[in-house]
Amino acid sequence: MKPGIALGMVVWFCLAAGAADEMVPPAGSGVFTAKQVRPGTFKLVVAGHQFTSRGEIEKYLAYRAARLTIEQGANWFTFKEDRAKGESAVPVPARDPEGPRYSFRMKYFRPGWRYKVNGSPTWTRWSPFSGAAFISADPKTITDFEVSAEIVVHKGPMDDADPLAYEAYALSDLLVNQVSPPK
Amino acid sequence: MFNCTRKVCCIAVMAAAGAHTAAAAHWVKGYVVGFYEPAFRYGGRADFSRGTEIEPGVDCPHGSTIHFAVPAQVAKSLLLVPWRTKEEVEAIANPPADGLNRDPAGVYFHTWRAASAYRGYNRDIETYINPFAAEDPGQPEVTSRIGEGFNLDGKIKPGDFVSPDGEEGIDNELYRAWGCDAPWRGANSNGTLVLRSNDKMLEGLYTIVIRVSGNKDPMNDDEATLEIGYSPDQIMKDARGNVGSDYSYRILQSEQYTKLKARVKDGVVETEQADIHMPQIAWFYNQLRDAFFREGKIRVIVNSDGTVAGLVGGYRDWRDLYAQNVYAQSGGVQGVREHEDHVALYYALRRHADGMLNTKTGRYDGISCAYRMKLTPAFVVDPDKPMAIPSRESEARGKEGYDATMAAMIKAAETLVPQEVPPASRELAATDGIEIGPGGVPIRGRGRKRAADGKAQGSSAHSDPQ
Repeated sequence: MKPGIALGMVVWFCLAAGAADEMVPPAGSGVFTAKQVRPGTFKLVVAGHQFTSRGEIEKYLAYRAARLTIEQGANWFTFKEDRAKGESAVPVPARDPEGPRYSFRMKYFRPGWRYKVNGSPTWTRWSPFSGAAFISADPKTITDFEVSAEIVVHKGPMDDADPLAYEAYALSDLLVNQVSPPK
Repeated sequence: MFNCTRKVCCIAVMAAAGAHTAAAAHWVKGYVVGFYEPAFRYGGRADFSRGTEIEPGVDCPHGSTIHFAVPAQVAKSLLLVPWRTKEEVEAIANPPADGLNRDPAGVYFHTWRAASAYRGYNRDIETYINPFAAEDPGQPEVTSRIGEGFNLDGKIKPGDFVSPDGEEGIDNELYRAWGCDAPWRGANSNGTLVLRSNDKMLEGLYTIVIRVSGNKDPMNDDEATLEIGYSPDQIMKDARGNVGSDYSYRILQSEQYTKLKARVKDGVVETEQADIHMPQIAWFYNQLRDAFFREGKIRVIVNSDGTVAGLVGGYRDWRDLYAQNVYAQSGGVQGVREHEDHVALYYALRRHADGMLNTKTGRYDGISCAYRMKLTPAFVVDPDKPMAIPSRESEARGKEGYDATMAAMIKAAETLVPQEVPPASRELAATDGIEIGPGGVPIRGRGRKRAADGKAQGSSAHSDPQ
């Protein structure tokens, strides 16, 4: 695919062939979208109407990020933090080349959220970097939600000193039995 | 020692003597491996510690691993377990009794080994058979650029090591992944498992021999042959306890034997690149098996001080390496005793895998590695009759447990379906009378209790793989 054509194109990824994908129930229409915003960079969104838990939904997004990386012929990705101006309550994870190395660190997979309550026409944004508590609304009142992340896929040896780097196969293996798409 | 027949000894002596005669005569040199360890290049400051850091150095800036060594480190690992509360983790990291307590169920060793065995995404998943189901606790890696081994892929890549002699392109990702692992790291090869495995080899657990032969000049022969393999004869020591020189050993053409084409240049022997079968490092009988290096090479060098060094390298299957390190006893026993975390080692292995591409999965199944050997001159001879590697019936149960556990781990990795602990496995079996129950709970008073003989209870690992 030429980058010019790919840029800005919304790609709906069907469940690809492979043992891992067969273990996860297929997502309904519009639940998962991946948009290539630059060569190697993708904006991923998981959307739904029935909020279950933050952990479950974020894990599903992480799983899809891992599978997308593999589908792209790459083997690891970096998670790009979406920090709005002034969102510094949560520190940026520091690179520590002398410290332990990881295949992934789930605690740093922190996607952004937006949601609607009681069918409200306006979205409310929640950022994991704002310092505010996670969605304070009663989960039963959430009628729409979207969780999004931007990732950059990579091939070759993983930069395992980068706290925002994720080895796609390792992450997929961990999550494959834990996730199902939201509704 | 092999009690050689007169005929065999005569041939061996004649062959050895041939090494000193004129060129174009048949020559043979034999060696017994007296020391065998991963080619990890120690860069620490021996006997120096800084806080909880053990011998920090250029290889490992923060020193050797301290997994399961101190409560804070235990808490760090267990906080990754999604079904454990902070209070639970704090209680497990700081068990109620110290090592002097007579109740083994209350001390750190059994509490930690039990908890370490259940770190999966739900409390029913045993971790050492299903490491993929636990979060990565992180493993310190080697950060220096100097490393021993071979350029296995013929390329010089940015991340490759440079050998101490300046050769670029050295592939030894096992060193990068595991080189800071406490039991394999130490000055002068004094890592605890390096010492233990070599002690066991010298006590007769297994023997490896090498035979090099040719028909030209033994210092320069481009059509030489190198054989390496298991010997059924125990290593003989001299009066000082060192490996004795010039004893005779049989070499078996077994599943742990390889014959390679070699080239001798200025006395340095280097083989062709091919698959190599030879014994792997072991410290228990149940670990005795083929190391199986893919696309491997062997080099033998006579040093200026007269000692002889060997280096074997190639790609080894991550499943063999993982099982070798975990299943001789159990992951929990070894992890707490040796301050290593096999989940971290699992992820590091797979992250650094760089050979044996599996076209079905798209992943590498092998990791480049190298092992050092110290060689002692010996007469290496063929047995009178072809024979297989002897098996010890008394230790068959240990082998069965190892094989069953490894098979379950491989099935889990291939299917991603968490596997149960097989009945023959040691993973949950009693140590000092303490078994491991579901969810990582130490269970007292079940299984075989070894503490009745008055041994210190709980503070050390007296587990037996049988």
